[in-house]
Amino acid sequence: MRGRPLLFTSYEADQALMPTTTKKVALTVFLVALVLVPVYDVIPFAPDFLAKDDWLKVLTNVMIFAIGALGLNILTGLAGQVSLGHAFFMGLGAYTAAALGAPEGPLVGLGLPMWIWLPAAAVVPALVGVLVGPTAVRVRGLYLAIVTLGLVFIGEYLFRNTESWTGGSQAGRTFPRFQFRFWKEEEPLVDFSRKGEWFGIELSNEAKTYILLLGFAIVATLIAKNIQRTRVGRAFQAIRDRDIAAEVMGVDEFRYKLLAFGISSAFAGVSGALLASFVGRTIPERWDLLLSVQFIAIILIGGAGTVTGTLMGALFVIALPRVVQDFTAWLSDKIDAGEGIIAKVGDVFIATSGDDFGIVNTLPGTGPGLSVFQLNLVIYGLLIIVFLIFEPLGLYGIWLRVRNYWKGWPFTY
Amino acid sequence: MTSVVERRETPGVGEGYPTVASHIRDWAQKLPDHVALREKDYGIWQEITWKEYWETVLDAAHGLLALGIEPGDRVSIHSEDRPEWVILDVATVAVRGITVGLYPTNPAAEVQYLLSDSGAKVHLAEDQEQADKVMEVIDSLPNLEKIIHVEPRGFREYRNDPRFIFWDDFLELGREHRKAHPGAVEQRMAEATADDVMTLVYTSGTTGPPKGAMLTNANAKYAMDLVINVEGRLPGDKKPSPDDQILTYLPLCHVAERIFSTWTNAAAGPVLNFAESIETVQQNLREIQPTLFFAVPRIWEKIHATIIIKGRDATFFKRLWFALGLKMAGFIGRERVANGGLHTWKSRIVYAIGYLFIFRALRERIGLRRCRWAGTGAAAIAPEVIQFFHGLGINLYELYGMTENSAVATVNFYGRMKLGTVGEPYPGIGLRLDPETGEIQTKHPGVFKGYWNKPDKTAEAFTEDGWLKTGDVGVWVDGTHVKIVDRIKHIIITSGGKNISPSEIENSLKTSPYVKEAMVIGDGRKYLTALIGIEFDVVGDWATRRGIPYTTYRDLSEKPEVIELIQGVIDETNKKFSRVEQIKKFRMIPKELDHEDGELTATQKLKRKAMEEMFGDLIEDMYGSDR
Repeated sequence: MRGRPLLFTSYEADQALMPTTTKKVALTVFLVALVLVPVYDVIPFAPDFLAKDDWLKVLTNVMIFAIGALGLNILTGLAGQVSLGHAFFMGLGAYTAAALGAPEGPLVGLGLPMWIWLPAAAVVPALVGVLVGPTAVRVRGLYLAIVTLGLVFIGEYLFRNTESWTGGSQAGRTFPRFQFRFWKEEEPLVDFSRKGEWFGIELSNEAKTYILLLGFAIVATLIAKNIQRTRVGRAFQAIRDRDIAAEVMGVDEFRYKLLAFGISSAFAGVSGALLASFVGRTIPERWDLLLSVQFIAIILIGGAGTVTGTLMGALFVIALPRVVQDFTAWLSDKIDAGEGIIAKVGDVFIATSGDDFGIVNTLPGTGPGLSVFQLNLVIYGLLIIVFLIFEPLGLYGIWLRVRNYWKGWPFTY
Repeated sequence: MTSVVERRETPGVGEGYPTVASHIRDWAQKLPDHVALREKDYGIWQEITWKEYWETVLDAAHGLLALGIEPGDRVSIHSEDRPEWVILDVATVAVRGITVGLYPTNPAAEVQYLLSDSGAKVHLAEDQEQADKVMEVIDSLPNLEKIIHVEPRGFREYRNDPRFIFWDDFLELGREHRKAHPGAVEQRMAEATADDVMTLVYTSGTTGPPKGAMLTNANAKYAMDLVINVEGRLPGDKKPSPDDQILTYLPLCHVAERIFSTWTNAAAGPVLNFAESIETVQQNLREIQPTLFFAVPRIWEKIHATIIIKGRDATFFKRLWFALGLKMAGFIGRERVANGGLHTWKSRIVYAIGYLFIFRALRERIGLRRCRWAGTGAAAIAPEVIQFFHGLGINLYELYGMTENSAVATVNFYGRMKLGTVGEPYPGIGLRLDPETGEIQTKHPGVFKGYWNKPDKTAEAFTEDGWLKTGDVGVWVDGTHVKIVDRIKHIIITSGGKNISPSEIENSLKTSPYVKEAMVIGDGRKYLTALIGIEFDVVGDWATRRGIPYTTYRDLSEKPEVIELIQGVIDETNKKFSRVEQIKKFRMIPKELDHEDGELTATQKLKRKAMEEMFGDLIEDMYGSDR
């Protein structure tokens, strides 16, 4: 029935992704806006700084982390199983991709095309996830966190010591590029890693890679959303809310927990493979605890259990360092220029030279105060604490609150 | 026959008199795949098309034939509103039986009275609760042969009782009968006559036991032609159509809901949406956003109170907007009421601005955003309430009628409304005021056949020249519109000899969100007094905000602060009335009034006699020192 958004005559309509025309239009506009980011410099009124290559790289990173975070969100947000082992599965995905997709050389590499190595990067971690799952499924809460923590360290050790696969500690290895081939032809059919002309528009390799990964992120979002709103997703949520009650209702706890591990690991594997390919050369130490914590930060800051929140979290957490960096750079420029209230206040916080006192240090190398990188860690930590205490639903919760304010208009309840 | 439906060429059997059943059959022919009914079940609105509706009716009708229902036999229905209610109702009419509806709140004693008075042969008890009621009194119901139950749960105890049959089994029985005797129901329908009694509608019985008013097929046809399809009732004279949505939530055994749901659906085809229960009406309203909405004053008062209270509870910024919105609504309401219910150019501009900022959202929240016509009737309503809704842009019209004349009497036509009146008589009907008493009397083909098995009561209901005595006192306003003064037997004559209508004062009191029940007393006394029942939720909320602790309804009612609050309401009302109509004293009713305790009728009307007996000491207390 038109114009009656609350009248559902079927469960399909009740669970529809885009129930109203307004939502359809809004989402289409948003997607078009995302696709057009690389050409923002020629579109009037668009924020043209985003179209610069360095910002495109940041956005591409957001997409990659979003895919991984969607996976962790299914395991932690939906099924309620805290996992610190996400980095391990990402590494596994990355090295699967490398072994299959990287050109033949001193290290293992079969030079197979992307349509083989990318799905394999999902399947192998998923299988391993299901294999190690049974040990993890037996424990819950804090104990599960410790078990998965162990996984990260085992993984790191393995990666460091399987040198013919990973290149070994400190050396690392290269990963397959974003090129599309049918089989092992010389010239790739579509090459995302070289600049070129598409539909009469000259695009840099960053722009092409951005568009490719935007596509992957959209597909991953659709899959995550569909898992969430179907039987499997409901089973996960039942287990999260109360595992015993879920079992009483007929949800096979063991099976669904394994499934959650499997799905989550598949997302992680793809994300890891994409990340490694995007960066190009990566050392085994890349897949460490810090990476896992970053994902935990994404889903907690974004809003555990919600797909939209996870995407918001990915944008926030990945873009934050860049914003902080730009901000401190802008501030130290101001301070160097001297006068003005901003310079005075900023000077207290920022150390611009070796003997200057400041909480944050913009100088290269070590100095008094925190580096920008350390500052980011502090901000993550603070944000996680603040969100857990004051806004458990994360950024999404804030959005919900804003939305409900207008939804309730002109009343409050 | 309505103008909308074209009659099909019927093969074989001849056409009977048009009944509710034949209308449904015609819709099933014309719009087989269009939605006819919707019921919320397992969280979503399940749809029933006209074809499915009619097929189920046919199965049920054959089921009734299999149970041996002969023309004129009574089938009683004791259930909340649900598709099975109307299906069995229509099936009964199809086999020329007589439907008797019971209120879900009827206690066992009343069930016993209604079933034995009507002599029902087949009874539908919705669930275990209603089945228990009938089983309590089954021994005094010799005519009752079969009890159909719709809910399977809780019937283990009656599993081996051959008198019980589950709804699905009943339909299966019908299907078998249909296979064995194809066309038997159609045969019955072809034999239908104008004079067939189709339903007994029991009057609510504010005095004495309920009486079953016999309504015939001709009565129903007349009500459909006038109440539903009369020219000029709806905006733009766009008659009800299959595009319209109706929310069915008032008891279907009441003539008002029967006309505005079942009969409107049959005559003009709007979709009936069955509310889950009376408690979820506000939620269901928001979901359905009906285009045609009929409600009794109690519901309008409740929506009005909800809006005011939620607006007051809103956060600061919203509260400012809300206050502004109310100001605009007040202006629009005044303009429209002065203009026969139509917008003036001034009110239209204010409304257009207000619509953007508040009215659209507000109407969406209360579920009346798409409402093109709203009606109120069945009891008196305070004019302020109607004006308030006009201010929000909702076309709310008061109309008047009663069971005995198939609700055909007066209506406020679109654009010709006069506030405080019940409107103009329908075109072509006989309606007059008794020159002596001012009683409204009607004469037209919608007037009922008589009371079931009560010829003496039937005789009392008519004047010597055959006009129906409605029992309501009215006056003409501007020679065209009728204003109801009160029920003839409610009119208070004070010891000073003044005639006073208590309803008007009571309704004015009830416009306050704090007052749920009000009963004005003073017949044969020196001055007027009142019994007041508070709206527990609202006053409770009010008390909590002021930090007044309370426990029960009675405790809250008797708080000095609450009495002071009500005194304020009384003072406010007294300002509107002349000196003799002032309420000098009042007392709080110490309990929530209830149908099962006998203070209210099934339609939530006060039983004045019962009230006077029950709270006699309170009343005497108010007059004590002066006697």
